[in-house]
Amino acid sequence: MFRQIYMLYGLLILATVGYAQYNGWSLDTMNQLKNVPKSVRDNPGSYRSVYSGYHHYTGGK
Amino acid sequence: MNPEPPPVGGPQPRVSGLNCPNCGGSITLRALGQASSVVCEGCGSILDAQDPKLQIIQTFHRIVSSDPPLIPLGTRGKIRGTDYEVIGFERRTITVDLVEYHWHEYILFNPYKGFRYLTEYQGHWNDISICKELPSMSSSFNISPRVNYLGESYQHFQSADANTDFVLGEFPWQVRVGERASVTDYVHPPRVLSGEKMAGEVTWSIGEYVPGRDVWKAFNLSGSPPPAIGVYENEPSPFSANLKAVWIGFAALAFGLLVMMIGFDLFAMNSSVFQGAYRFTSGYPRAEASFVTNTFELGGRPSNVEVTTSTDLQNNWIYLNYALINQDTGQAWDFGREVSFYSGYDSDGSWTEGSRNAAIVVPSVPPGQYYLRIEPEADTVQPPVTYTVEVRRDVPVSSFYGIGFLALLIPAILITWRSASFEKSRWSESDHPHSPIIAEGN
Repeated sequence: MFRQIYMLYGLLILATVGYAQYNGWSLDTMNQLKNVPKSVRDNPGSYRSVYSGYHHYTGGK
Repeated sequence: MNPEPPPVGGPQPRVSGLNCPNCGGSITLRALGQASSVVCEGCGSILDAQDPKLQIIQTFHRIVSSDPPLIPLGTRGKIRGTDYEVIGFERRTITVDLVEYHWHEYILFNPYKGFRYLTEYQGHWNDISICKELPSMSSSFNISPRVNYLGESYQHFQSADANTDFVLGEFPWQVRVGERASVTDYVHPPRVLSGEKMAGEVTWSIGEYVPGRDVWKAFNLSGSPPPAIGVYENEPSPFSANLKAVWIGFAALAFGLLVMMIGFDLFAMNSSVFQGAYRFTSGYPRAEASFVTNTFELGGRPSNVEVTTSTDLQNNWIYLNYALINQDTGQAWDFGREVSFYSGYDSDGSWTEGSRNAAIVVPSVPPGQYYLRIEPEADTVQPPVTYTVEVRRDVPVSSFYGIGFLALLIPAILITWRSASFEKSRWSESDHPHSPIIAEGN
């Protein structure tokens, strides 16, 4: 019984990986927006990224 | 247990009522003519069942009145399609490291099939019969001795001296309380091969593990059997039967994953749709740093887009705010990446930290005309940074295969670990507690 469940589970994993690859999933995080105004093309500074408050690492060893 | 070989084509069942010559209590002989000894239920005297006068073989003080048989004498049940009656019961004990271990044996009788035995130890039951042929010692080298029987190899489990300390009912041999036998068990779950040496004679019997509920069902007993405690020597592992199949399944699925990876790598578009080279100087007065690229086309089905940043950084960093924007629909993916690279030399030698390149994968981007809005940030006191941005369409993401592989591997490892734990528990009770853990019975 366990082996049947395992094979079913494995096929589900393969199907998920295949689906993710085919549809271009990603593990990276980002913010998705809609209806960004066309004026951004002419005035890039009018758009502000939600990531602009990022704290930068300025280290080194 | 030291029985005579079971008779073939025995007589019709005969039951006789007699009296104990010691206490006068009534004696019921259920296997008349077949049993060698019978125990008086009144005084515990062991009588010669072959003697018409029931001569006393042994008298003993009953010491186990609080340990009655779980299957009462006279109970009938069906074992492997044959009706048997419980005619005898004995309790036996081995002592290991000053600790006594008791188990119970039930003598079953069918006038046509002869004798059969059930043993019970802490809720673990075995259906036992006398071997039809002698086992042979294995000649191959092993950590523990092995014997072969009917084409199967049995591994030595335990040897001990067993003492009979309580008897009840009839027996196919002249039973004695206090009789001792050297018992050696070899296991090949779910079977156990036992050799009992007494007075220079070895009797071999073969047993098969039976769940308590099957015994209860066979004898139509009320209530439920006592719960099985621990792992018994020939108890079949619920995991080892699946172990081989699961690892074969894992290999097949991992191969499928590999084929899928090669297939997607071969057929993925993975095409460069945009490249641009830029230089960023940070300082005051600060001008507007953001800019947009030329438009580029993302074709094909909805798929991912990889944005790679390559720099000439040296002990410096740059942070890039990106927005991938669909020119027609206004849909945008907003993300950022810091790229930093440091290197130097100290007492440990040269060192580096970070990378001059960074990539990010934007998921499931529909086809269309797109451009990038890029907003760089950098340290104001550092020299200008030159960087290139490349956009690739429909790239394979290897991390999914890694996650998939782990997801396949974890259940296989878990069942292997559980199987190993089961075998470790089994062998910890043996004479070979440190033997290699072998999942038998596959």
